[in-house]
Amino acid sequence: MSGELVGLIGLAVLFVLLVIRVPVALAMFSVGFAGIWALRDLKAAMSLMASESFTIASSAELVVVPLFILMGNVASVTGMSGRLYDAAYAIVGRFRGGLASATVLGCAGFAALSGSSVASALTMGKVSMAEMDRFNYDNRLSTGVVAAGGTLGILIPPSTGFVIYAILTQQSIGRLFLAGVLPGILLLSMFIATITILCWLRPGFGPAGPRTTMGEKTRKLVGALPVLLVVILTIGGIYAGIFSPVEASAVGAGLIIVIGAATGKLTPRTFWTAAKDSVVTTAAVMLILISAHILNPFLALTHIPDLVGTFLEGLEVGPITVLALILLTYLILGCFLEGFAMLVLTMPIYFPVISQLGIDPIWFGVLVVLTLEMGLISPPVGVNVFIVKSVARDVPLARIFAGVTPFWFAMLGTLIVLIAFPQITLILPNTMMN
Amino acid sequence: MPRCVVNKTMLATLRKLADRLISLSALAGTLGLIFVTLVVLADVIGRAFGAPLRGAQDFYQMGMVIIVFGGMALCDKLGGHVAVDVFEDHFPDAFNHWLNIFAALLGAVIFAGIAYTVYDSSKLSQMLKLATNIVRMPKWYFQWALSIMALITAIGMALRAVELALSGPHGRARREFGE
Repeated sequence: MSGELVGLIGLAVLFVLLVIRVPVALAMFSVGFAGIWALRDLKAAMSLMASESFTIASSAELVVVPLFILMGNVASVTGMSGRLYDAAYAIVGRFRGGLASATVLGCAGFAALSGSSVASALTMGKVSMAEMDRFNYDNRLSTGVVAAGGTLGILIPPSTGFVIYAILTQQSIGRLFLAGVLPGILLLSMFIATITILCWLRPGFGPAGPRTTMGEKTRKLVGALPVLLVVILTIGGIYAGIFSPVEASAVGAGLIIVIGAATGKLTPRTFWTAAKDSVVTTAAVMLILISAHILNPFLALTHIPDLVGTFLEGLEVGPITVLALILLTYLILGCFLEGFAMLVLTMPIYFPVISQLGIDPIWFGVLVVLTLEMGLISPPVGVNVFIVKSVARDVPLARIFAGVTPFWFAMLGTLIVLIAFPQITLILPNTMMN
Repeated sequence: MPRCVVNKTMLATLRKLADRLISLSALAGTLGLIFVTLVVLADVIGRAFGAPLRGAQDFYQMGMVIIVFGGMALCDKLGGHVAVDVFEDHFPDAFNHWLNIFAALLGAVIFAGIAYTVYDSSKLSQMLKLATNIVRMPKWYFQWALSIMALITAIGMALRAVELALSGPHGRARREFGE
């Protein structure tokens, strides 16, 4: 049997395993292992199993994963998201749709702490949804804005999405973090513009909140200052060359723990819970990564990535069209697959093609992560939508999906702008870390 | 005593034992995370004062092994592994039930395989005296730790498969493990 045929059978089996709800990591692991056994021998498959399990689990650069997760979890249990929201609310709450804009700003701030979209949507949903209900916000806007705002978590650094992409494609984590800054700000602005337009077209969607005095504004901003300082120190430290990403993640986690303890919000019990949750999440992420490193050599042996590359080259279209086609497949896959799983499944196939076409891998990484974000709010899977549903139990799912639709188009608009102007993504990494 | 009562008692004892092992493994992982955080922080602070922690990278690399595999069994117990559940509602209950058993068994086999192969490769590490770069910590100690924690995960998954098989499509195990 030819390598290509074994590869196609392997991919078909992988698809079936995913459909029948076998966890993504176990499906990838078993197909990769069986494929190498079929194409080489059992000894090679077992040797890979032993070496990859230990090598990936002891990878120095992957230490950022549990540390950033810990930072996000501690920030979440200590209610730091609330302080970010309060500060944004004090500034923009009095405008029409202001609470929704404050939610997006709060999500962006929390994203800079946690690096996780789900954590951003969950914590910000708990904080802001009740407040928007109190001011009679249309529940399509209130739920839509939380689900969409949460997606900023994997674009605004530190982002677990970027870390995984960097590991899979051997890119610099620092450059990717830096590349995510301007697109993150652009997306944030697009979300706020969407809210403004929606509330301008339908004033009942987001009535203005009460005015706040200058004293209140100052107090709320001062309340959020420690959190903002942690973000600036952590991310700024990487760019200034003071910390490596691993050190920055530990400094960030350490500072958040100190602030939480100093303010009395972090007890030994809540800290232990946050640490244990971080270990569990790390295990899930790392098992997928280990599995990807079992599946990738199998795909390489089958030459399927080469075939895909040859096929795309045979189309005789420019690199941008190929890029658009690849992103289109992510948009379609995003309706069914979890973003992170999609990344590890497709990167071994797409990345060689991208490299061959001379497309900048950092730019591609940002575009892919943004497209994965769109999957987080695309029906029928839309993880963030389900997270919001768990907070707003009385709002029908269809209404939440209706609420996120304008934001989905805002993301599509951002994606198009980023494709048209690669310099938005590349200017910071190229000027600051070249 | 009827055989099914004996089976249930035995299963309950096994579950209790497995849960303790899973908790112990998660405890090791959590302590590992706290240790790694402290090591990196000590290194950064020490460096600021011209005295970085010697071998910090060795410590946090090996600590990572404990974090990753320490949390694996608990992650499985809590249903934390990512799965595509779009089609779940379209399958009959009985089919979903057997799929759960299949996934648990597949996981058990994979983790038993990891435990065995890593233990096997630890013998080579021991023979070659492989150690970390700076403080020369023997790598095989951490391979043993990985093997033990992978084995605990495999036991937890195998036990879950047995519980699911005995409990039927609407049984206790299915609900308890969040599937």
